[in-house]
Amino acid sequence: MDTNIEIKNLSIEYRMRNGTVHAVRDADFSVDKKETLSIVGESGCGKSTTGHAILKLLPSNARATGSIIYNGKNILTMSNNEIRQIRGKHISIVFQDPMTSLDPIMRVKDHFFELIKAHDSKVNEQEMIEIASCALEASGVSAKRLNNYPFEFSGGMRQRVMIALAIALQPSVIVADEPTTSLDVVVQEQIMEVLKNLKRTKDMSIILITHDLGIVAEVADKVAVMYAGEIVEYADIYNLYKNPLHPYTQLLLKSVPNIKIGDMELHNIPGSLPDLKNIPQGCRFRDRCPMVKDICKKETPPIIDKDGRKVRCWLYG
Amino acid sequence: MKLKTYILTRILLSIPMILIILTIVFFVLRVLPGNPVLAMLGPKAPPEIIHAMEHQMGLDKPIIVQYFIYLSHIAVGNFGTSTYTSLPVLQELVQKFPATFELTFYSMIIAVSIGIFFGSYAAYNFGKPADILARVYSIFVYSFPVFWFGIMLQLIFGVWLHWLPVSGRSSPFMIPNHIYTGIYSIDALLNGQFDIFVDAVRHLILPSVTLGVVISSIFVRMVRSNVLLALSSQYVIAARARGESERKILFKHALKNAMPPILTIMGLQFALLLAGAILTETTFSWPGIGNYLITRISYRDFPAIQGAIVFFAFFVAFISILVDIINAWIDPRIRY
Repeated sequence: MDTNIEIKNLSIEYRMRNGTVHAVRDADFSVDKKETLSIVGESGCGKSTTGHAILKLLPSNARATGSIIYNGKNILTMSNNEIRQIRGKHISIVFQDPMTSLDPIMRVKDHFFELIKAHDSKVNEQEMIEIASCALEASGVSAKRLNNYPFEFSGGMRQRVMIALAIALQPSVIVADEPTTSLDVVVQEQIMEVLKNLKRTKDMSIILITHDLGIVAEVADKVAVMYAGEIVEYADIYNLYKNPLHPYTQLLLKSVPNIKIGDMELHNIPGSLPDLKNIPQGCRFRDRCPMVKDICKKETPPIIDKDGRKVRCWLYG
Repeated sequence: MKLKTYILTRILLSIPMILIILTIVFFVLRVLPGNPVLAMLGPKAPPEIIHAMEHQMGLDKPIIVQYFIYLSHIAVGNFGTSTYTSLPVLQELVQKFPATFELTFYSMIIAVSIGIFFGSYAAYNFGKPADILARVYSIFVYSFPVFWFGIMLQLIFGVWLHWLPVSGRSSPFMIPNHIYTGIYSIDALLNGQFDIFVDAVRHLILPSVTLGVVISSIFVRMVRSNVLLALSSQYVIAARARGESERKILFKHALKNAMPPILTIMGLQFALLLAGAILTETTFSWPGIGNYLITRISYRDFPAIQGAIVFFAFFVAFISILVDIINAWIDPRIRY
């Protein structure tokens, strides 16, 4: 299959007043056409940062190194003008919080007009309305609501509008940054259904950022598990669920809540993320790892190829 | 709610506000020491003439009766007769108002342009030299006393450089032939008298720069902090993710969303400026309502003082309605 976007050695750090936060280190992954890659991990592990980097949307205090190759070009070294032509048209993003992602004083149709005009100034209003209606209907919103303001929509409907905006120009990659986190389960399900349909009908690659392993199982083809800024395991969905290699992935899968009588207990992973400002030597997960060895404290584990899967752990080295 | 319904509601709501202002103005002036009749006739006037005068002006009636007479007069646009010139107060105010309005309006234009452009530029360059400059500018300029700054400008541009006139609103005999609005710069243009237009503008520069620059300090700060807030919001990032250019993001998304609170403050400032023009008008001998008020206070011309304050109150009410309507027009959430 053809690779759509390829990320190599991506490292991102935020310069803060009281030190540098190493949010992402040496991330490597690629997404093929029509494929869904899911990035999972707990809050603060660098998954959203990675997603935003793909559109060069990082705040000004962030420094990204490595490369994000799209269409043979490195996004990280693009000029503002070059990346502007890619945003929304070739790569688009759906954000976590639908309540604040739409401009409160702009009608829904004006959001679409803005998107379309930013990429092609010659389109007339009739065509723009057609594009917008199409995208809205595909996301499960009636085209009659083009004239409404964002505050007239519920959270779930706003997220559908956001998805419609993301797909309107038929981009080849959509980054979905926790698109259902702030929504209730019923709406979550509906939104995921929309995303699945798109994948089937519109030939898009989706990079789905989430901490919900249930959603991952439903839509992803490949999974990258992130911990403290590093991808600790990278595998296809079937193998990952059947036989997780990294201890963190194993614990993560175990902590998915199960509604079974007699097993109502919530499993969690004791401990918390290391301070990303001064990361200790060795493996980043070692303080919470049940299978920690001596070497984990001294040396950073390399990426190990095991049966075509990638894992960053000394257990396999 | 439709915008029309909103406007109507807003106008109706301002009636109690105006009534309260009228009441306060009336009673405060009655409580203040000083007798207008004595002020008119002088301390040596015989008591029977004083009584006759008081009776004629209705000052011998109970205060509550005076209050309702005053309200009923205001309702039909009768602001009373000046005890100093014996002219209807409303007529005097209408004659003085254009000068004040002209000065205030041009000051506002200066203040708003400096505020919006410098403020958004600073917000966009947050933490960079332009931003620091904007912050220093607003603190520095805000601490200027209006009259001191006016005198400094007079000294530099009038006395030393001889570039601009330092007082009045026109040179002798340089008054528009035909007065339509009372605003010289506009009347001169309407008459096609270009030399008089230039003269009017030359007289306007120093006082309006004085007021405008001092007020702009508040606007720069207001605009900067509100635009900064809007720029950090998710919809700005989302607009950027759609490929929108930075300039459009700044003006179409950030500034427009930041506008309602800014407009509210600007409206209040515009109203304050009208009253605050007293200092500028005195410094530049500007023949407006500020100067008028000062003169009449020294003559205890109660109807005139009362009239001027009520006039300001109406104007403040009018501006605040206008601001609310503009805000409702920008932000649909306000009118629902």
